[in-house]
Amino acid sequence: MADITTIPDHLRAKAQEKGWPDDVVQQALATGASADQIIGYMNQGVTAEQARQFLAAQAGGGPEPSDALKAKAADASWPLDLVKRALAMGAAENDLINFMDMGVTAEQAQQFIEQGGGGGASFQVDLSWMDVPTEWNTRAKPTKHGLTLEAINIGKYGDIPDIWPYQTEMPRGAVPIPGVEGMGYSIFEKQEVWSDACAKLYEEAIQRRWRPATDVPWTSIEPLPDDLERAICQICTHISEKEQLEADVLGRWEPEISYGYHEVKLYLATTIFENARAVEVFRKRALSNGGGLGVQSSGWAFRSIVDARNFTEMVAIQMVLHDSLTLGQYAFGEKFARNPAEKFIFAHCLQDKARHLSYGVSHLKYVLLHRPERREEIQRYLDKGEGMLVQDDKKDPSTRESFAMYFAGGKDKIADGLQVYDAMRKTALGQYLARLKWATLDRSQRLQPGLKAYLGS
Amino acid sequence: MPVFPSVEWFDAIKNIVNQDPEFRALGTVDSVIGVKVGGKIYELIFEAFECTNVREATDNDLRDMDFWLEQPYDKWQDMIENIKRNGKAGLSHTLNTLDLSMPEGLARSHDGYRRDAFYRFNQSIQDFFNASAKIDTQFAAAEAVTA
Repeated sequence: MADITTIPDHLRAKAQEKGWPDDVVQQALATGASADQIIGYMNQGVTAEQARQFLAAQAGGGPEPSDALKAKAADASWPLDLVKRALAMGAAENDLINFMDMGVTAEQAQQFIEQGGGGGASFQVDLSWMDVPTEWNTRAKPTKHGLTLEAINIGKYGDIPDIWPYQTEMPRGAVPIPGVEGMGYSIFEKQEVWSDACAKLYEEAIQRRWRPATDVPWTSIEPLPDDLERAICQICTHISEKEQLEADVLGRWEPEISYGYHEVKLYLATTIFENARAVEVFRKRALSNGGGLGVQSSGWAFRSIVDARNFTEMVAIQMVLHDSLTLGQYAFGEKFARNPAEKFIFAHCLQDKARHLSYGVSHLKYVLLHRPERREEIQRYLDKGEGMLVQDDKKDPSTRESFAMYFAGGKDKIADGLQVYDAMRKTALGQYLARLKWATLDRSQRLQPGLKAYLGS
Repeated sequence: MPVFPSVEWFDAIKNIVNQDPEFRALGTVDSVIGVKVGGKIYELIFEAFECTNVREATDNDLRDMDFWLEQPYDKWQDMIENIKRNGKAGLSHTLNTLDLSMPEGLARSHDGYRRDAFYRFNQSIQDFFNASAKIDTQFAAAEAVTA
C-alpha cells in the first residue's frame, strides 16, 4: 500500500476541516497527487470514505471475489484484478455476473471504472440546489377546467413583469445562477407580445383539438364533376400554402420571445400546430378524390407577413388582417360544403382560426392600452398589409375563381359564385373592422380602397 | 313534452349534453350565449365542459352576452325539425350556414371581439342544438312567442 508521506501543514489543516484522517491523506499523496489536487477534491465535497474506496480500487484492494465470480470472470475473459477493483468500488457480485452475461467486455468495464463508475469519487453529491430561495409551499388547485396555466399563476409565479431581465432560458419564478450563456432572445417587453387571453386560449386549443386522419368522415366524399373537383383542389392548395407560411412565420418568432412570457410561447406553439393541422387536412382533401394540387398563390400578401420586422407588425398583418379573411373563407366554405367531410373540415378549421384571431386582436388591444403612441405605427402596418392583399386580389385569379365555382356549384355558374365571393369578402372585412374597433383601433376611414369597395357591394 | 321556446326545453337539452361524453370530448366551452325567439330571450351559460345554467333574460341582458342567436320563429321551427329528422343539423341547417344566410346574421353581438365565441365554440353549440333530436319538442303557438 502507500508509503508513509509527510503531510504539508495547509493540507493537514484542510483535511482536519473536512474530516479526512491522516492515513487517507497519506495514501492519496502516495499515488502522486499533489497537496493542491487533494485539497481540490476535498473542496468538491469528496468524503474521506469515498476517497478511501477510490484509493483501494486503484490499488486493486477490496473484497475477495467468490469462486463463482472468479469462474464467470474466467469464462468472460475479465482479469481478476479488474474484478477486484470493481468490487472495491462497491459493485455487487450479482451485478458483475449480469454484466458478463450481457456481454460487457473487460475493456468496456475498464473504461467504465476509469470514468468513475457512475458513482465513484468524481460524481459528488452537492445538494446546494435544495437550499434555493424560490417561493416554496405552493399548492395550485385544479379548477373546473382542470389544473390550468391560470390556476398555477399564483404568488411569485403569477407575477408577469413588464420587462423580463434575463437573457437565458430560466423559467419564470426560478432562481438565476451566474455564468449561464444567453439564448439569443430579443423580446423582453411584455407589451410586445402579451395578450390577457393567451393562457385561456392555450388551454382551449389543447382541449378542443381534433384529428384529421380519423375524425373527418372521409368516406362521405363522392366523385364530383371535374370542374368542382378542380375548384376544391385549388382551394386546398391555396389554404395549405397559406397555413404553412403562417406556421413558418410563427416558428421563426418563437425563439425571439423570452421565457418570462411563457404563456405566449405556449399559445403560439398551439397555433403553429393548428396551422400544421390545416395544411394536413386540406392537402389530404386535395389528394383523396381523384384530383390533385393546383397552382401556387402569387404570394404578394405573404411577403407582408414574412417581411414583418417586429412581432406586433406580424400579429397585425397575419393574425388580424389575414386571419379575418381566412376565417371568412372557412365560414363560407362550411356553408357551401359539398359533403359532410368538407363541412367538418371547414367547421373545425373555423374554430381554430377564431382562436388565432382572438389572440391577435387582444394583443393589439394590450399594446394600444399600454403603449398608445404605437397607434399610428400599427395603422401603417395594416396599410401595408392591406395594400399587398389587394395586389393578390388583382394578380391571383385562381383563389377568387375557385371559391366562386365551389360556392356556385360549377364553372357555368361562376358569375353567381363571384357575387358570393364578394359577399364573403364583405362579411370578413366587416368583422375585421369590428374586431379592430374592439381593440380601440378605428380603421373605417383608412381601409385600403381596394378592400373598401367590397363593403359597398 | 317540453315546449319550444321555454326554460324547460333548454334545460332538457342541457341535461342531455351534460351527460354526453361526446359533448365533453369537443372540449371546453366558456361563453354566455343568448337565444332570441320572437319576444322571448334565454341565456345559456357554458363553463368548462358543461352548460351550467339556463334562464329567461331580457333585452338589457343581451349586452352582457358574448352573442345571441336570433331568427324568425318559423326559422327556429324549421331548424329544430330538420335536426329531429336527421338526428343532427343537415348540411343546409348548421348554425354557421344559417348565420351566413341572413343579412343580419344568426349570431349577433354588441361586441366585435366577443362575437368570435360563436366561431370558437361553434361545434359545441351545434352539438347542443343537435341534442334536441333526442327529445320530442312541442312548439308554442306563434302568437305566444311574438307577444
